[in-house]
Amino acid sequence: MDRDTRRFLEEFRRNEATPIENNLIDELVDGELDRTEFLRRGAMFGLSVGVMSSALGLVGEASAAPHGSFAGAAETVKVGGTARVGLAKWGGSLEPYKLAEAGSLGMSGIPGEYLTYSDNSNQIKPWLATSWKASKGATVWTFQLRKGVRFHNGQEMTADDVVANFKLYTGNKQSQALSIFEGILGPAGVVKKGRYTVEFRLKQATGAFPYLVSQTGYQLIIVPKSIKPDTWVKSGMIGTGPFKLKNFTEKRQYNLVRHDAYWGGRPPLDGVKVTAYETSTAMALALRAGQLDIVSAVSRLEAQPFIGNRKFRILQLPTAAHRQFTMRADDPALKDPRVRRAVALTINRPQLIEGLLRGAATLGNDTPFWTRYPSAASVAKRQRNIATAKQLLSAAGAQNLGFTITTHRLQELPDYAAAIQRYGKDAGIDIKIEVQSDAEYYGGGDDYYATTPWINKPATITEWGHRAVPNVYLTAAYASNGIWNAPHYKNAKLDAAIKSYLSAVDVKTQRKYSKEISAITQRDVPIVTAYHFVSVTPVAAKVRNFQLESINHVRLAKTWLA
Amino acid sequence: MLRYILKRLGLAAITLFLLSVIVFGLSQLLPGNVARAVLGQFATQEAMDSFNHQVGADRPAIVQYLDYMRGFVQGDLGLSLASEAPVWSILEPAIINSLKLAALAFVIVVPLSILGGIAAGLRAGTGSDRSITIFGLSMSAMPEFVTGIILILVFTIWLGWLPVTAQWNEGAGPLTQVKHLLLPSVCLALVLFGYIARITRAGVIEAVDADYTRTAYLKGLPTRTVIRRHVLRNALLPTLAVVATQTSYLVGGLLIVEQLFNYQGIGLQIYLSAQQKDFTVLTSGLLLLGVLVLIVTLVADIAYGLLNPRIRFGSAE
Repeated sequence: MDRDTRRFLEEFRRNEATPIENNLIDELVDGELDRTEFLRRGAMFGLSVGVMSSALGLVGEASAAPHGSFAGAAETVKVGGTARVGLAKWGGSLEPYKLAEAGSLGMSGIPGEYLTYSDNSNQIKPWLATSWKASKGATVWTFQLRKGVRFHNGQEMTADDVVANFKLYTGNKQSQALSIFEGILGPAGVVKKGRYTVEFRLKQATGAFPYLVSQTGYQLIIVPKSIKPDTWVKSGMIGTGPFKLKNFTEKRQYNLVRHDAYWGGRPPLDGVKVTAYETSTAMALALRAGQLDIVSAVSRLEAQPFIGNRKFRILQLPTAAHRQFTMRADDPALKDPRVRRAVALTINRPQLIEGLLRGAATLGNDTPFWTRYPSAASVAKRQRNIATAKQLLSAAGAQNLGFTITTHRLQELPDYAAAIQRYGKDAGIDIKIEVQSDAEYYGGGDDYYATTPWINKPATITEWGHRAVPNVYLTAAYASNGIWNAPHYKNAKLDAAIKSYLSAVDVKTQRKYSKEISAITQRDVPIVTAYHFVSVTPVAAKVRNFQLESINHVRLAKTWLA
Repeated sequence: MLRYILKRLGLAAITLFLLSVIVFGLSQLLPGNVARAVLGQFATQEAMDSFNHQVGADRPAIVQYLDYMRGFVQGDLGLSLASEAPVWSILEPAIINSLKLAALAFVIVVPLSILGGIAAGLRAGTGSDRSITIFGLSMSAMPEFVTGIILILVFTIWLGWLPVTAQWNEGAGPLTQVKHLLLPSVCLALVLFGYIARITRAGVIEAVDADYTRTAYLKGLPTRTVIRRHVLRNALLPTLAVVATQTSYLVGGLLIVEQLFNYQGIGLQIYLSAQQKDFTVLTSGLLLLGVLVLIVTLVADIAYGLLNPRIRFGSAE
């Protein structure tokens, strides 16, 4: 490292760096962070490329700028053509603040864009925001917006739009984004500080806040402030994305054309034709027949016939998406943690992944932390052990354990329940299965949270989508007051560890608390997390520069057709 | 005749009223909640309450029903609870789509199955009779999605002749629409062929053995005339009734075929409305189907009477 670079870095640390940024550099120098993780967290806390390169040089690592958000392959780009995209049909709304389904997320995410982008290696990248800074303690975050971004109606995106959007997302009672922001950010905390500057004043310190406003926050699309709630679709789905809506037949077909004023450069495709499919089988058949180029959300089994077919390419993406097999901590049969641990120990996870998902999953260890989260501490692998399971049941006086697992008809869920039933038999556990329709399972009476089966049955299996950081899993499913705490598990020590984890800004502290959290969840097992999905999706071989997204978004800004 | 039709229309109105009460009652028993369906399983109670209030789903059930019926009799189907779009704007394209598919399937299956049934009945006990009967039974026994997938594999994926989805692009001409509808229509025709052909065959066998047919032969009439004037006229009466009852299935009962071929028909729309507990779309869809069934039944009854001089409209009921 040359003298000038060293001086530049020292001056930055002395005069400009926030405590968080200095701490990051210290963690790199101390070996707590490797190069990838330093780049990831540096981007998260808004360190400039120059500072990150200098810091990497200080420890002898090759300097490298974070990858461009839309990096493309080195192949001559062919301009023109229309990509035909198949999405799973959605029942609910396409209005951003109400987005709740894979299909509607995919559709809205074509014309719509977010402040930040969490890439497939969990690095946070600039998108509509170019940089961000946290205050000491990470309670105030200041975002600089990209200048010159034009909405599809020609109007420039400014802080007024972002503020209006986030006030809706954090303040409207019907906003699905409240699952992220409840207790963290309210409408009063969203403040315009300049034409291109927005400040988020948080109710509690949140080290991962830039992730919360990324596309993995699902709803947080930036639309013009003039668009009132529930009029976005009628107004033509005006966003900042690479393609703008031309015409549509509701929940059936959407035709989009190139947004010539797109800030990220002219998209190669002329347009995109999106068709919504009632079943993934019909969608897979359409791809097979050459009538689609790109599909989302086909199952692993439906992807199988495409493997080895030269007309298609198979894309894979490990995700944090998982199934939560919950056992109620206040149920007479399951309240003893030893009993729940015994049930967890009967499950043959590698066999489950192979049998149910043809290997398209990574092992889960009954913790909220996907192993690819940088904050995930190293924990003991959960392995099948029938002898220990029997001992635990005996110690708990539950040799004749019997209970019912309730789930619903979705993909492999009924088969997963049947597998748990079969494994349980080896330890003398009598498990019954109740498979409900989606409407029954997620239905409920006037007091929804006290009546809906998925939160109130003694044992349930529920699907959970990908999140770039585990915050929502922790606050909603594991915390004692979590609104989706299906196991009804309450533990003050766990709550304290979760709170500390969420407010931690350095990875060392996060790992410390993630270890503590994992130790508790592995011991008490309110939730069994046996596997995390690897998304396996075929696309037509002629599709170039397209990658899978962890939550069914279809990003086509640089995609082209050979 | 006019008195008969007026009486039938009166009965139809009562039937539709009862249908609306039954549909409304059953929709109250359906699990789930429209707000849950729209806002997703993870919506908070507060969000759901707010949504239900916004669309009026939090009012007493009887108030919702009376409000809805008041609009219905005035020709206003109201707004969808789930999407807040006018119900007619949702149902109209679905009904038109379903009628198109039903019409093509009807055009394919009715002549083919009647011809098959006549051929089998006239050659009862022969190899051709057995072939037609076994083919029809096999097709009827095979679930629609199996028949559909086989058709897609053969005609779309292997041969590449026909599109896999029944839905055409906006502005497509009639021939393109027929091309898109051919596979699902053939799928339906295969399912119904056995049933209609079997009924026709039984009617033909019965008519061939009847005294009036023997008398016609003894009068010296040529075989073709005997079959046209005496056998078919009597043999097709039960077939007519069966075809009429299948019409409602062809229009509103094609959920599996519509799902497989990604076709936005009324069957699929009603199913989605039931899933979402979208009471206004569900009730309107079923009532419109009810109207259709009553019209088809009425037409079939009139045709039955015209074909069968023994029926007198004045005493038909």
